[in-house]
Amino acid sequence: MSVFTKLTNIDRRVFYWILFIALMVPFLSPIGFPITIAENTQDLYDGITGDEVEAGEVWIVNFGYGVSAWSECHPSTTACTKALFREDAKIIIMGTHYDVELTYNKLLDTVSEDFAGKVYGEDYVFLGYITGGESAAAQLASSIRSVYPEDHFGTSLDDIPMMDGIDSVHEIDGVLSSDTGDWGGHFMTQWQSAYGTKLAEIGIAMNASTDLPRWIAGNFFGVSVGSRGGAELEILVGELGEATTAMDSISVSHLLMVFAILLANIGVLYDKYAGGNN
Amino acid sequence: MSNVFKREVVYGITGLITVMMLFEYFFFADSQPWAETIRTWAVIVYNISLGLGAVRLLMQHGTALQRKRENWQFSVVLLTIFTVMLLTGFAGYIATGVQTSNGLYNWLFINIYTPLGATLYPITGFYIFSAAYRAFRARNIDAALMLIAGCFVMLKNAPVGEAIWSGFPTIGGWFQFTGQIPGMRAFAIVGALGLIAYGFRALLGKERGFYAGGSE
Repeated sequence: MSVFTKLTNIDRRVFYWILFIALMVPFLSPIGFPITIAENTQDLYDGITGDEVEAGEVWIVNFGYGVSAWSECHPSTTACTKALFREDAKIIIMGTHYDVELTYNKLLDTVSEDFAGKVYGEDYVFLGYITGGESAAAQLASSIRSVYPEDHFGTSLDDIPMMDGIDSVHEIDGVLSSDTGDWGGHFMTQWQSAYGTKLAEIGIAMNASTDLPRWIAGNFFGVSVGSRGGAELEILVGELGEATTAMDSISVSHLLMVFAILLANIGVLYDKYAGGNN
Repeated sequence: MSNVFKREVVYGITGLITVMMLFEYFFFADSQPWAETIRTWAVIVYNISLGLGAVRLLMQHGTALQRKRENWQFSVVLLTIFTVMLLTGFAGYIATGVQTSNGLYNWLFINIYTPLGATLYPITGFYIFSAAYRAFRARNIDAALMLIAGCFVMLKNAPVGEAIWSGFPTIGGWFQFTGQIPGMRAFAIVGALGLIAYGFRALLGKERGFYAGGSE
């Protein structure tokens, strides 16, 4: 067996170790490759800042991701929450993933400085977890109180000052849906298409193929894709965080993967054209 | 008689509700109280299905434990954790209205569930790395095109790609926005048309797979 043929049959454990060691390097010694801002991310940021958001506007931030997707979705959600708070928007936080409370607590930690100047029930409210798929999204548009009679802590929405006069899609100025699933699609069908509500999506990288066509079509005013989108938003907000740190690891792992693919294909091409084994 | 309830009544309810919801969506500017009631029922039924799922899970693993089926030890772990989380969650909920107010529940969630959940997803990165090495091989022209496009998109998404050569994001972007997104649009449109066709077939009683696993 030639050296080139051996390249096509490297044990997977070798790659696991190479990747493991390679991922250590940027954590021990950050590289800091420059990050450019994608147009879809810029559109998302522009849509939640400046003239696009007036003080007092009410926005929904939906946590449709669990702990396993924190690395991909949470940096973007954090940056967007900061941006909305800085515009003095009011935020309704809800969740379509059962990890919503953990994610909410993490948000309180990561955005603690911005939350410090805000009052629960006046500037933001946490409604908690819902199920029901698209039916629930449609019903939320009709009446938030019919889905959430109380907030997560058991307080009636009627007793929360911020929710005074807010009960349907007509009183909501925008939605940021952050998903591993398709709640962005549910909001698109039941809110954006039906009522013209401003809608943006924060998705895991795998969802880009679904989310980007919707952004191009104008259904989403912006899209953040995975941890790369999070890093771009951190730059735009002006506070680097978890996603920016992770970018070096993304670079190393992606580069190694391309290298591994090239390695395997050198063997394949050799066998095909020179070795004649395959 | 039982067949009437199993089939015709199910068709009737499905058809009636479908027509009502379509009517409300397309012919009224604002939602109607009767449609809101139906949607609320849908949400409640959805929640009940979660409870049913939990009961089914308990029954399945309870039976596996009782009959000492293969890997029954895992059923013990599941049933134990299920019971502990359920009881501590309820204890917190009864005491304060918030399940995470229970110390043990909170501790288990933060110290066991959270690290495990956070680890689960990154571990797939190792598998993907190995899988890409084995699967992305230029054995024919189609496979070659796919691996070339894949490599360019990867280098577009990673900042290192642009650092190596500014052409990587441009070419990767071309593959993504000119190649992949139109394909996804076609996929989405065809899927939506298929869903409409499925809906009409269900409405006419021709699509029977959605209830009791029946076939046409």
